[in-house]
Amino acid sequence: MLIFGERINGMFTDIGNALRNKDPKPIQHWAVKQQEGGAHYLDVNSGPAIPTEERVEAYEWMVNVIQEVSDLPLVLDSTNYNAIEAGLKVCKRPAIINSCPAEQVKIERVFPMAIQYNAGVIGLTMDKKGIPKDSENRVAFAMELVAAADEYGLRMEDLFIDPLILPVNVAQEHAPEVLESLRQVKMLADPAPRTVLGLSNVSQKSPDRNLINRTYLAMAIACGLDAAIMDANDDDLVDVAATAQILLNKSIYADSYLKVFRSR
Amino acid sequence: MALTGLEIYKQLPKKNCGECGVPTCLAFAMALASGKAALDTCPYVTAAAKEALDSASAPPIKAIKFGKDSVLGDENVLFRHDKTFYHPTTLLIRVSDALSDADVEAKVQEINGLEFDRVGLHYSIDGVAVVHESGDAARFEKVAGMVAAGTDKSLLLLSSDPAALKAALVPLASRKPLVGEATAENYEAMVNLAKENSVPVILKAEGLDALNDLAEKAQALGYKEFVLDPGSRKPVETLANLTHLRRLAIKKKFRPFGYPVVAYTSNPEPLDEIMEASVYVAKYASAIVLNTSTKAHILPLMTLRQNLYTDPQKPIQVEPKLHTVGDVNENSPFYITTNFSLTYYSVEGEVEATKIPSYILPIDTDGTSVLTAYAAGKFEPEKIAQAMEASGIADKVKHRNIIIPGYVAVISGKLGELTGWKVVVGPRESSGIISFAKSQLG
Repeated sequence: MLIFGERINGMFTDIGNALRNKDPKPIQHWAVKQQEGGAHYLDVNSGPAIPTEERVEAYEWMVNVIQEVSDLPLVLDSTNYNAIEAGLKVCKRPAIINSCPAEQVKIERVFPMAIQYNAGVIGLTMDKKGIPKDSENRVAFAMELVAAADEYGLRMEDLFIDPLILPVNVAQEHAPEVLESLRQVKMLADPAPRTVLGLSNVSQKSPDRNLINRTYLAMAIACGLDAAIMDANDDDLVDVAATAQILLNKSIYADSYLKVFRSR
Repeated sequence: MALTGLEIYKQLPKKNCGECGVPTCLAFAMALASGKAALDTCPYVTAAAKEALDSASAPPIKAIKFGKDSVLGDENVLFRHDKTFYHPTTLLIRVSDALSDADVEAKVQEINGLEFDRVGLHYSIDGVAVVHESGDAARFEKVAGMVAAGTDKSLLLLSSDPAALKAALVPLASRKPLVGEATAENYEAMVNLAKENSVPVILKAEGLDALNDLAEKAQALGYKEFVLDPGSRKPVETLANLTHLRRLAIKKKFRPFGYPVVAYTSNPEPLDEIMEASVYVAKYASAIVLNTSTKAHILPLMTLRQNLYTDPQKPIQVEPKLHTVGDVNENSPFYITTNFSLTYYSVEGEVEATKIPSYILPIDTDGTSVLTAYAAGKFEPEKIAQAMEASGIADKVKHRNIIIPGYVAVISGKLGELTGWKVVVGPRESSGIISFAKSQLG
């Protein structure tokens, strides 16, 4: 189970300000703090904090300042593929591109770029028309992404299918469909593509967000979830990820498994 | 294992005509993968694609049977702890037809004598490989006949000359020998000979590319009873080949390699040869042809084979009979435990460390630990009393004390009543046996 730390995102005030003022401190603070929490990758997203025309430069800057303090690999999160490419050019370790929907035009832009920079791709099970409600259509989009990976020569382990979880308070019926999608995605290819969720979405604007997040995380891992973009500093949540790993016989049990999980 | 959507999609024509009732080939592939559609509804799928899809659902490595109950192949994993290895490596001893009649007789005698009894199990060698080295077809036929008459074990007949092989094989066809070797030069004659006699045949080529080529050509002759030989004779190369062949067959369902593999030892020194064979037993050889037939060389190899092919999900058990530690006498203490090997050996090790000669009786609990057996009703006073009776312990010691594990102290009353012996509750953990023995048995 891979944890992609979500905190370096321009939607948060401190990161937004850091981007506007070119102040590396808050970004570096969260890079270190998330790594200590148990993150395996750091998601990097400028958000709308800075104007579109400055994003290419911003991504290059963010990657550089993060790499000054952390050796974790990065997940470059943007809809602006030029900005992602600028980031990929300066990444020291193979990164992951977040993300590419099942649309031919975007596949043609993203997959060759992933191959060129030895990067992974998060593939979204949606197209221009939006997010499907049922698992069947989600899986159909996943299949298109799998076929694209095969066509472009992207290793299946480098393709992360994101079946797109939505907030449970307004889109409750999606949650079980996403679980079913996670199960089925594993049967699309052998070796199977990996799976990822933007976990915190499930609890947007609900009370007890942490409880919802960790309950859903455990359920999703049981259905085959390999990675989550999540709060790496929610200790209870990281404990759930570590415990699920043990209960699925993916890591060898030791009494100190919670500590072991965080130390690698 | 069912086919994945991607594997099916690759075999489809990709016309996206919708005639199957599904809008795109990709969607049709997914419908097939989930069992919601049948391949017949696609009018454009080729015969080759149909065959590829059919064979992909077959087991990854074909089972090849020959001789006297020899089964090769039919394995599903790369590591035994993932599930288990099913069919123990068939061990064959090599007999050259260049030997004199007397030497052939002697060798067959020696091979027949390779029978072992160890820890309650019986081992015997599986077969004999008759190798055509004389260059004389009549000699090969004669030696094959002599070997067949001298033993009822499985036979492997090895000659690269189809005519010589035919002469040797035909009279022995009812024994269903494994034959070889089909190579790029002779494969048509060899495979057809095997097909006519319904016996499996070894395909031999130098290296995996050539073997792939040969396997595809041989399959095209309409026969599928094959055993593969990647030609290498150096241990390091053979290890690599065995690993690649097993991996490709299982992980990639690569059909030309979906057959068991035979390995040949090459080291002239028997001790080196057994080390070499040990590697092949551990790393996926379904059959091994050996030179040495000395008991001292063969026993460790057969023991290794036995150990590797046990099912790791099933607990390993010790024989549920009276065991002794040290030079026991009529005053020796008497311990009870279970026949789960982990439990038994923990106890035995600690009892040994007390330096007091002792008796240990492992009760047959189907190989479960003390608490597991107790919870499952397999470690009850009645059963222990019966086992004691059967073990004859009463005639071996003059005291009447039974030491039981501390965790089952609760059975002491009933066990005492049933046996008339005094039940001494030992420590809960075997690590406490030493201090227990010092204070109680001094």
